[in-house]
Amino acid sequence: MPRATGGILIECEPAIKSIIVHLDSVSHDIIIEDLDEQHLLVRPNMVHLLKQKLEERLKETYRPEEPLADSDG
Amino acid sequence: MSGTQSYQLSDYLEKLPATTFRKLYQQPSTAFAIFRRMLPPLAKVFVQALLYMPSPLLLSQLDDVWVKSEGRQQRDRALAILRSLHIVQITPSGKDKPQEMQLTTNFKNSMRLALEGGGSHLSFGVPSALPVDPSIDIPFLDKYSRKKWEDILHYVVNSVSVYGDIGGGGSSGGSAAGPRPSVKDLLLAGHLVERRPDSKSGIVITQAGFTFLLQESNAQVWTLLLLWLEASDHAKGAANGGRGGAMMDSIDMLSFLFMLASLELGRAYDTESLTETRRNMLPDLVDFGLIFVPRENPRQYFPTRLATTLTSSASALRSVSAGFAAATANASGDAASLGAVAGANSAAAAESKGSIIVETNYRIYAYTSSPLQIAVLALFTQLNMRFAGMVTGRLTRDSIRRAISYGITADQIISYLAAHAHEQMSRTAAATGRPILPPTVVDQIRLWQLENERMRTTAGYLFRDFESPAEFAALTAYAEEIGVLVWKNEKKNLFFVSKYEQLRDYLKSRKK
Repeated sequence: MPRATGGILIECEPAIKSIIVHLDSVSHDIIIEDLDEQHLLVRPNMVHLLKQKLEERLKETYRPEEPLADSDG
Repeated sequence: MSGTQSYQLSDYLEKLPATTFRKLYQQPSTAFAIFRRMLPPLAKVFVQALLYMPSPLLLSQLDDVWVKSEGRQQRDRALAILRSLHIVQITPSGKDKPQEMQLTTNFKNSMRLALEGGGSHLSFGVPSALPVDPSIDIPFLDKYSRKKWEDILHYVVNSVSVYGDIGGGGSSGGSAAGPRPSVKDLLLAGHLVERRPDSKSGIVITQAGFTFLLQESNAQVWTLLLLWLEASDHAKGAANGGRGGAMMDSIDMLSFLFMLASLELGRAYDTESLTETRRNMLPDLVDFGLIFVPRENPRQYFPTRLATTLTSSASALRSVSAGFAAATANASGDAASLGAVAGANSAAAAESKGSIIVETNYRIYAYTSSPLQIAVLALFTQLNMRFAGMVTGRLTRDSIRRAISYGITADQIISYLAAHAHEQMSRTAAATGRPILPPTVVDQIRLWQLENERMRTTAGYLFRDFESPAEFAALTAYAEEIGVLVWKNEKKNLFFVSKYEQLRDYLKSRKK
């Protein structure tokens, strides 16, 4: 008999996935199952926190420019 | 697509157990309403075919008579819906006996009663025998329900206090009070708005709230009603047999909503003939604007248009943008425009005249003075100036990022802009054969979102541990057929679905 596990499927780039795996390695409370290089199953209650942490991590490394400076607004 | 929950009637119904459906279908009005509202055309054809059939129909016969070979997928979807709503029973497939289908007993009997009339079920309401105040006519009820409903929408929109001066300018209908505290609690409980101490008004809109605002009003009403049903279920669970009178039976509540949908607009109905559960619902329904109870005569209630259109097809209803039009008209005190809501067609016509112009340099001009629409725009635009009848602003990286931080998606913004584009934009687009919105702007909104949303989330269930590759293949094929498959991996024999109820039933029937 097959089993079903509830959770949130995350689809992302491999680079982002490796960050999530890294975040999880601290306390192992985020990821339920590592599915493939672009998919993860995570605990539903951790998604919000995960997004926050990811945002913080990306802020450190990534700062795109505004595409068009406004003259008068 | 996203991981947030959406409150739709179909999702709510699918989770109910079979026993609940049996009780629901005891009411002809409920069976009829489900038939009207929930079924795709092909499923309706099936029900009509089966309704007066004396014996079960062979599944193979169904395919011979009503389904073309290329319509296989639609047939499977229709049957899946009919089964999930417990309208048809299909015998499990076995080698010795062909599969048969028939309508479930209660549904069949109630549906026949609904069509033929008769019975003493009082399922379609009891008209009041008391004299009716002549001032309570259809325009009065429309005005009343629109005000109630717009108070609720304004409350959700005003929870966005980014531009207090421009956007949160209060409601146009001259209503200082806003919705009742119970309604506010409901919106909070349903996560349409969230408490955030750092914002000016203390609450902010969520993605679910933004989706809610952009729905057509019929879907909005259902969203709120389902939140309400859930909340009263919780209250019942928490109090656990406390004061019996306050406890509401959610089955009876749902039946009552379906009954309201079958009533006639502008007529008075008798409150005395209602069950206690239903009488207890009346104050809340008054708060939502679904019914009107005259102060001098609490033994009568009048269903409003919000109630009587609950189960009609979606296209016949005014949408939120028509609501904007009505709100604007209301503000200018134009009495003739009251008819704009009464006729759904003319409202739709008003809606087709959009008001927003988007330029390739990210500037936005909106020809509107509706506080509701301006507040919605302020969600994702940096508004700069407001004139009589027009606001101007810009889409910026920060304004889009802020919207996304509320949980609003780029696609929601884009579809909102496209749906409300000024007719001049549509005309130019049609003449030059280009899309309505400038592609640079659309792409940039998506890119801004990508910066923030580096992952896509879907709530659901991971299936594993299959007995054979064949079982895996059969289950994924079925999941794909009924449209719940999100991801699969043949090598690892894993797949992910957004819903599992029907797969579980499918597994059970295979095991037999």
